[in-house]
Formats: sequence, structure tokens, C-alpha cells
Amino acid sequence: MTGCYRTRKMKTNRRVAAHPVSGKKAGTVLAISGWILLSAVMAALPVKAWGQASPLYQKCLLCHGRPGFKKLMPDGKVLELFVNKSELEHSIHSKLHCTDCHADVMEIPHLKVPGKVNCYRCHYKDNPNGAKPANEFFQSVHGKLVTENDPKAPHCQDCHGGHNVQKVDSPLSTVNHQNVAYTCGKCHKPQYDNYIQSIHGTALLDRHIKSAPTCTTCHGKHLILQPDNPESSIYPLNVINVCSKCHENKELIRKYNIPGGRISTYKESYHGVADEFGSVRVANCSSCHRAHLILPESDPRSSINKANLAKTCGKCHQNANVNFTKGKIHVNYKSKSNGILYYIGMFFEILTMSTLTLLFIHILLDLFRRYRSGEIRGKNKRGE
Amino acid sequence: MEDKYKTTKEKIAEELQKYALDTLPEREEKGLDEKTQRLVRDEANEGLDAFFNVKIKNIHKIIKKQHALKIKLDKKQEWQKDTYQRFNIYFRIQHMMLFSSVIILIITGLPIKFPNSPISKFMMSIMGGISTQGILHRIGAVLLIGFYVFHTLYTIFNRDGRRDFVQLLPKPKDIKDIFQMIKYFFGFAKDKPKFDRFSYIEKFDYWAVYWGGIVMVGSGLIMWFHNIALSYFPKYVYDIAREAHSDEALLATLTIVIWHFYNVHFNPSRFPGSLVWWHGKLTKEQMIDEHPLEYERILKGKEGKND
Repeated sequence: MTGCYRTRKMKTNRRVAAHPVSGKKAGTVLAISGWILLSAVMAALPVKAWGQASPLYQKCLLCHGRPGFKKLMPDGKVLELFVNKSELEHSIHSKLHCTDCHADVMEIPHLKVPGKVNCYRCHYKDNPNGAKPANEFFQSVHGKLVTENDPKAPHCQDCHGGHNVQKVDSPLSTVNHQNVAYTCGKCHKPQYDNYIQSIHGTALLDRHIKSAPTCTTCHGKHLILQPDNPESSIYPLNVINVCSKCHENKELIRKYNIPGGRISTYKESYHGVADEFGSVRVANCSSCHRAHLILPESDPRSSINKANLAKTCGKCHQNANVNFTKGKIHVNYKSKSNGILYYIGMFFEILTMSTLTLLFIHILLDLFRRYRSGEIRGKNKRGE
Repeated sequence: MEDKYKTTKEKIAEELQKYALDTLPEREEKGLDEKTQRLVRDEANEGLDAFFNVKIKNIHKIIKKQHALKIKLDKKQEWQKDTYQRFNIYFRIQHMMLFSSVIILIITGLPIKFPNSPISKFMMSIMGGISTQGILHRIGAVLLIGFYVFHTLYTIFNRDGRRDFVQLLPKPKDIKDIFQMIKYFFGFAKDKPKFDRFSYIEKFDYWAVYWGGIVMVGSGLIMWFHNIALSYFPKYVYDIAREAHSDEALLATLTIVIWHFYNVHFNPSRFPGSLVWWHGKLTKEQMIDEHPLEYERILKGKEGKND
């Protein structure tokens, strides 16, 4: 990127240095003098001014580069019009002209207020340079609001940033795994507030565990759908798939000491069975653990803390009281730690096995006798 | 039947001959000579043959039909005379309540026990989802509880019920019978053990249903009214109920499908099943074969026929 400016700069300098030199040495002289001049200019420039002379933004930045450049709109709002130059230079779009995006600016100074930037000019569906998600975006709850011309609807630049668009991997990107929660929180404030308190939020933002989930881990990136849409990743029947991505991942469970067997025990419970058969009413993970303010059992704010459990269960179960806390919720019927439950299971196992073995032996002996007496071979009972 | 046919034929032949002979004097009076008389007699015989040639089949059919009907009636009377009312109407109604509820409960319950099996998903989609399944399972449960209530009342207030309950109590003889049966299976004993009104097989079935009923109805009610149950009991009681319900269900299903179905449907002397559950009767032969002691008792008139 910066290399790009340098070439242009060299060209400019060369033009300044050009004077008629004829002969074979003309090229060499030109190169040497150019080089000397360039070095001189570079040495003369303050370090901070790198890129200052970028002709790409130069014209626009004459006005927009001034800090505090703003305009009072007819509706009384103040429109910030300052553009941070360094932001532009470090963005992924640093090679572009201002008018590549602000395509409706035809003259400088422009008289009209430019419209919203339309990213689909470049990032259309079949563009090999990426932007495949554009299609997904228009199916999402955000994209649908955009097509309905909702003034509050988020456009690409609302999440990805306007002048400071960065690659997702870059820590400067607004949609980086670490930053995306803040970006979503700009509109979804209550959810953000809950998230940053939750175990997921503290793990990611405070303890910098990169495997910890952020908004997009559960809600999806571009194809964000409402919870009542059956295709949504957080539709009641799909919530378990979202959670099991990490909570059934043995590597993560071992690495971060996450309690294991949560998904399998849920699937064994009646809640899990009903969920398996498509009941939307039944409790899924987020019904008890909450969607955003997910906290460990030990935390007194947690919905699954023993003190709050009766209230949490009481959302569905009338008369829920302290009895709900006596006994495990995620019951592993085959674990010895369950005490009486384990022995009852074992008792029935032994009872079933032994009873059926004896009955089966009785049947086989009966058939054996009947065969010997010829009853099975087409003779009557007395073997005649 | 051949005899009857022959006798009828002969009777008709006799009658016709008699007619020919009776009318002979008249014809003689008309002045017919001996030659003519013989001719007339031959004609009569020929007519008889011709008559039979035409009518023989129909007569045969009619006689056959009437006779078959009579045999059937005789047989029925004979069968009725020699059958024994083993189960009264209350007993049969109880059995029908039990098997219909158990069939409903097994069909609707097993998909919950094995939620990951494709058959379960198919069954659940046929039933129309888990909420319908829940309603159907509870209908089955009500029927089953109704059966247990009916049976308890029957055992207390009905004379046959009281007698059957006493007869169903396990006795030392049952253990002897089991050993005798094992000997019989291996050919060390020539005869099967002599059973009274209920063999040890039937006693096992009865007490299995008794035990199963207590477990299933008890745990089922805890799960049905879990909100009430959990306001009195801690949650692990619910978990125990669920575990017991699920395990006992499997045990009961397997016992019914393997053991009971073998004893009443798939064993060679019963296949494909009898109608005793419908009319409750056993023939004399069946009584002697399966419940000789009871039969003897009935013959002695100690108990008399119970119907």
C-alpha cells in the first residue's frame, strides 16, 4: 500500500528534476539525480508526515481532514464530517479514491450531501474478491430492514466500519472476534451489558481466551435471524447445536476445565427428548442458563445458583420451590456419583437381565421338548 | 350320509313299485294280458331309473345339506356340553382393558425411551409430535389405572375374584411344579406337572403385572403431576421415578413380547392364538391337558361349574 504512494511520489519528484540531458548517460544521470533528490526530500520530511502528500485523499482532506469539521443540519443535528486520515491509510481500502465509495460526489467541493455508501458496487455476489456474504446478509434480520429502507437498519459500514475497514483477523477491525461484541453493543445495549458480565464475556474480554464465544459465535455472522425463525441458529430447537459446538468439544473441555457431559445429560432428560422431537415449548440450554448473562453455578447472580434455581424453574413449573435444588439437574443416570439413582438403575438392569434369561431358557426348553415329542414336526400332541 | 341316501333311494323305489303293483288290478280289469303287465312293470322300473337319473343330484345335495347341518348342531351341543367357563365376563373385560392400555403405552412410550432411533422419529411423526404423544400416553395410563381399580374392586367384592386371588397366591407346589417341568423338558419325567386353576407360569404373569403396576403407575403419576410432586419431594425422587419408569417399561415390554406372546401365541399348540380371551371357555381336552387338578375338582362337584 505504502509502496504505492512511494512510486507516485517518485514520479512527481522526477518530473520536478527533469531537464534536457541528451546522450547515453541521460538515463543514468536521471536516475542518480532522481535518487539524490528523493533522498533529500525524504530526509527533509518529518516522519509523521508519511502519506501526507497522498494525492488520493488530498483534495477531499483539504476540508474533511480538518479536525472539528462539522455541519449543522436543518433538523438541528450536528454532522461530524472529520475524516481521520491515518484511519484511511491503514484500512484495507487505502488504495481506493474517496470517490470510489462516495460515487455520487461528482465535483469538488460537492454541493449535495452524499448518499450512503453502497458497498455492493464492488462486493456483489460473484465478485472473486470476496463479499459472498452479501447474499446472506439480505436474508438476515438486518438485511431485511435495509431492503425495507428502515432508517435504523444497519448497513455494512455500521459493523465493518466506514473509513477504518480492516480484515477480520486484524485486531483493529470492528468485527474482530474481540471487538465484535462492542460493535453489536452499539445498538444491542442491554444484551451487550449482560454479555460482558457473563462467563463468556469475561473469558474473552478480560482473560483474552480466544476460544470464548462472542455474539457471532452463536448468532452467526451475516445470516443473523430472529429466534422464532426455524432456520435461525438460536431457534429453540437449534440452541443445543450452538452450545454443543464448544460444550461437547473434548479438547476445549479439557483445556479450560469446562464441566463436561452437559449436552449428553440434557439429551437424556425429558427436556432433551422433547427438544429432540421438536417441542419448542420445552426448556433448552438458554431457558435455564439465560441467553446472554450466562454465569457459573457458584456466582450468586447466576440463574442456576441454588438460591435462584427455584425462580428459574418457576418460569415454567408452577409451585417450584427449594425441592428443585435437591438433586442434580444434569443427571447422568450411569454415574456412580448419583448414589441411589445409580443403584436403582443397576437393580433394574440385573432384574431385567436375569428374568429374561430365565424366561428365555424356559421357552427354549419348552420348544426342545416339543421337538423331541414330535409336536413341531407335524405330529399331534401325543406324538402320533 | 351314504346310508341315508341309499335308504331314501330305496324307499322311493319301493313306493313307486308299490304304486305300480297297486294299480295292477285296475289295469288287469282293463283287460291287459300278462305280456302287457310285464311291460308295464318294466316301464315302472324304467321310469324309476329315469326319475333318479334326473333328480339324483338334487336329492343328494338336499340330504347332504340337512345332514351337515345336523352334524354341526350336534357338534355345537356336544362342545357346549363339554366346555368349561374358565374366565367370567369381568375377568375378560379386565384383560381387554389391560392389553389395550399396555399396547397404547408401549407404542407411545418406547419412542421416549429411545429418542435417537429412526423408528422412534417415525412413530413420533405418525402420532403428530410429542404433545399428542403425551396425551395418548396419558389416555393409556388412565385406562391402565382404571384396570387396576377395577381389578382391586373385583378382587374384594366378587366371589370369583376372591377365589382367584387366593388361587393365585404362590404355594410350595409351584416350586415342585417347576422342578417337575424341568424334568419333563429333559425327558426324565413322562408327564407334565399337574396344574390347578393357575399354573406357575400364569402366577408369574399375574404377579409381574402386579409389581409392574405399582412401579409404573407410581412413577408415572409422579412424572405426570411433577409440579405437585416436586412441591413435596426433592428432585432426586423425580429422577428415581423416571429411571424406574423407563427401566420397568422395558422389562415389561420384553416380558410381554417374548414370554407372554410365546405362551399364548407362538408356541406350537397355540399358534396363532386362541379366543379364550374373548369367550373365556376351555374345552374338556384343554382342561384335562392344562388344568387337570381343577378339572378333577369340578368333576367331584366340589366347586361345580362356574358361569
